Amino acid sequence: MAREDERHHLFSFLEERFGIPEKLFDDYLLFSREKSWTLIRNGPHVISASQLKVSKVGLRAFKRIGRFVKPTTRMIQIFGSFATKATVKINQEQLSRLLEGEQFPVQLDLDQGYVILALDDGRILGLGLLIKENIRSQLPRKEIRQCMLGE
Amino acid sequence: MKPIFEHYCEIIPDFRLFQEYLRKPIPTHIRINTLKIKPDTLLNSLKKNGLHLKSSNKKYDTLYHAPGLNLSGNLLEYFLGYVHPQALTSCLVSIALSPRHNSYILDMCASPGGKTSHIAQLTNNTGLIVANELYPARHIALGHTLDRLGVLNAVITGYQAQEFPLKHRFDYILADVPCSGEGRFRKTKETAVYRETRKKVRLPDLQKKILLRGFDLLKIQGEMIYSTCTFNPDENESVVNFLLENRDADLLPIDLGFDYEPGVQEWKNEKYDKQTQRCARFYPHRINSVGFFMARIGKRG
Repeated sequence: MAREDERHHLFSFLEERFGIPEKLFDDYLLFSREKSWTLIRNGPHVISASQLKVSKVGLRAFKRIGRFVKPTTRMIQIFGSFATKATVKINQEQLSRLLEGEQFPVQLDLDQGYVILALDDGRILGLGLLIKENIRSQLPRKEIRQCMLGE
Repeated sequence: MKPIFEHYCEIIPDFRLFQEYLRKPIPTHIRINTLKIKPDTLLNSLKKNGLHLKSSNKKYDTLYHAPGLNLSGNLLEYFLGYVHPQALTSCLVSIALSPRHNSYILDMCASPGGKTSHIAQLTNNTGLIVANELYPARHIALGHTLDRLGVLNAVITGYQAQEFPLKHRFDYILADVPCSGEGRFRKTKETAVYRETRKKVRLPDLQKKILLRGFDLLKIQGEMIYSTCTFNPDENESVVNFLLENRDADLLPIDLGFDYEPGVQEWKNEKYDKQTQRCARFYPHRINSVGFFMARIGKRG
């Protein structure tokens, strides 16, 4: 299980950057692995299962990239709807450009770092990266292109 | 034209129609994942993009045929985890198990995770699912499916199903066991031939071991589903009969709102317990999906 300070560090990041309340995760347990953290709903059966030899616990929620920690696409797809800031709505054309590896300019009153990418209709895709007033994709490009274009 | 699975002509009703369906492709079927989206919202969004889904049964608002779609993986909605391509009969397995919220559940042979994620959906991510899969290589696909579909109440283990540790007991168990897969076979190409192998002949022995271990892992008053996608009574009723002979088990009725045939009572000179009538045989020509077998099993108090 992740240490309390580790847990606070990760969830407070979500609150500070995106406004996703840290309290939202009170009912969840966070487990740390070498380069990632996983999240599972807490409950009485988790103790029983701890006697088993488990290869994966719950959802892969964060991963370590160098010195930084990045929430996973799936984590953001689930909890991104609770965000109150740092969300950028994009249209299909902008999505296609991101998937081609391009970036596009934005004017945002926001520090550099991760932003939540959502489609115009509110569907949450995952993360983008805001650098020098440009958005870059952090979406799993190959996977999403396979889905959209059948590649 | 030589009939396919000719040796089942006496147990499969309307055998000519059955043959016709074996020469048609299995229709594309999807399950809407309510862990991530409401069915109405998804249906409206797909409709706007020209994709009309056809309800599989009015009783279920998450099960749909997708006639205009060859590969349901080729949708943005797949990436978003809103839908999962899953044969109708595969979906019915988790529904037949009908797990209550906050239960402790074991899926003995879980990869690639379609049924496990459906169980998470039915329990609304409450309780805990132990998704067991022997082969480590399959853990990647299993974990990927569970993550994509937003499952937050599952752990993955890698035990041999027939030797899953007897440390504690479960409220619900799914034993969707390795089988010969006859129900998935379609002769849509001239070259397609169903092949028997020696390995498949050994399956009933493994299936009996898995079912017995599953039953032993069940709490008193707990329930389990034994399922296969084969027509072969040696892998179906015979395995369930073996359980009835060796354990204090009850077969429970299955009511899903779809037509099925009852379990057979005898096969190759072997007579089965009368309770095996309560098993359900889903045939392609009755349900237009993968051929399936299910037994709903209860543990007496």
